[in-house]
Amino acid sequence: MRLSLMLLITHGKRQRKLGGGKPQRLNILRRVVTGLVRHERIESTYAQCDEAQFYAEKLIDYAKLGNTNAGAMRIADYWITEKDLIPKLFETLAPRFTNYDGRYCRLHRLPVTTQNTRDMAVLEYKGNPYPSLRPTPKNHPNSIANILVEGLRQDYEKKMEIDLKEESAT
Amino acid sequence: MAAFGRVLLRSRQNLCLRWSSSTVEAARPAAATPDITESMQEQKSRRKSRRFISPEFIIPRGMRADFPTKNHVERMDMLRRRAVIDIPEFYVGSILSVLTSDPYAPGSFQQFVGICIKRGGYGLGATFTLRNVINGQGIEICYELYNPTINQVQVLKLQKSVDPHMVYLRDALPEYSTIDFNLAPVQHNPEDPVPVLDTKVILKPPPWYWRWERVELQGIDMEHMKENHLSQKRLDKMDDHRKPWMEFDLMYEYDTTKVEQDVLKDMRYFENVVRRKEETSEKSTEEEET
Repeated sequence: MRLSLMLLITHGKRQRKLGGGKPQRLNILRRVVTGLVRHERIESTYAQCDEAQFYAEKLIDYAKLGNTNAGAMRIADYWITEKDLIPKLFETLAPRFTNYDGRYCRLHRLPVTTQNTRDMAVLEYKGNPYPSLRPTPKNHPNSIANILVEGLRQDYEKKMEIDLKEESAT
Repeated sequence: MAAFGRVLLRSRQNLCLRWSSSTVEAARPAAATPDITESMQEQKSRRKSRRFISPEFIIPRGMRADFPTKNHVERMDMLRRRAVIDIPEFYVGSILSVLTSDPYAPGSFQQFVGICIKRGGYGLGATFTLRNVINGQGIEICYELYNPTINQVQVLKLQKSVDPHMVYLRDALPEYSTIDFNLAPVQHNPEDPVPVLDTKVILKPPPWYWRWERVELQGIDMEHMKENHLSQKRLDKMDDHRKPWMEFDLMYEYDTTKVEQDVLKDMRYFENVVRRKEETSEKSTEEEET
């Protein structure tokens, strides 16, 4: 989905053509978004995930309006093809993102190998129950940066003590 | 409830109008309204509190929207012109009278009265087209809002059309486009909501400017058209061009709250800072001369 500066690169084309035609494109993306709402992390082609990300985030924006809103219910009814997931969208996913303001999804590209040349990607909602795909950097106390910062902190505290002593002496 | 200033931007392919501001509907689509039914009082108070922003200030997303400096400078120029001449609030379907200076007769003005059928362009190049039928001949004149040769733009009758444009008037019976040059201006209370022009227009027999049966426009009398003007072949092909998925394609929804805030900020800046500067500089030049 290209809306701003990317339009210059794509020469004004905003959407990818998926499935050969406008109604087919939305049908494919509906299935991707429904799968995402069910599993909260799905693997698909990069093109489908990239396009679906925009619609998945907009769907959350609509879901935040609440399930009493007729417009929001209509949009959710169209986009989620498996109707048992509509309560999940409004009751589980929308409250999760009350403090977020936009970026509700993460898109990871999977490695392309000579055996598997298809450009695959993983699209997930933030706050999903699975372990994260990227390793979280741990704050190791014996890394060189942390040792230097600790030394700096100790020097600073000593300096403050000396200053206080000088002030109390004068 | 979160109140998005949502605006539905129809695709270029749908209406074949290039970057037309006619296609940007200023009304909130029914999809996102809260389920509280608004009373007349609430509508009035909403109109009072919301300052009217003319549609050519709202630039669409994409190439032009990412140059804030250019947009700001252009807005300042637009506001400077608006400080000199009053460009009123009007919509597609309103009846306007325009006075332009005549290059070959300095001092006198040419008047044209017509119904606004479309508004195009953004920024300083924004245009509107007026249509009238004079002596049996249909005439459309496209004016630029910020053209310095325009002396006066007066709204004779403020009304809003149900459609984003009224190009079908070209193929409609001439009575719908004939407007008397001496039409008396109809007073409109600024607090009242704008009246909606919902006459269903009867079309002349084809050939038409466009295949109107394929375009979903509310202003055309569809029953009359289907009974009288369309061959069976055209009627069969009509439904192939319906696009029910467009209502749900969330990409076409343009949340204009941020852009509107920028525009209001620039308006306030212009009123407070720029005009004062220009007034004080004028005064100082007057003092120097005397």
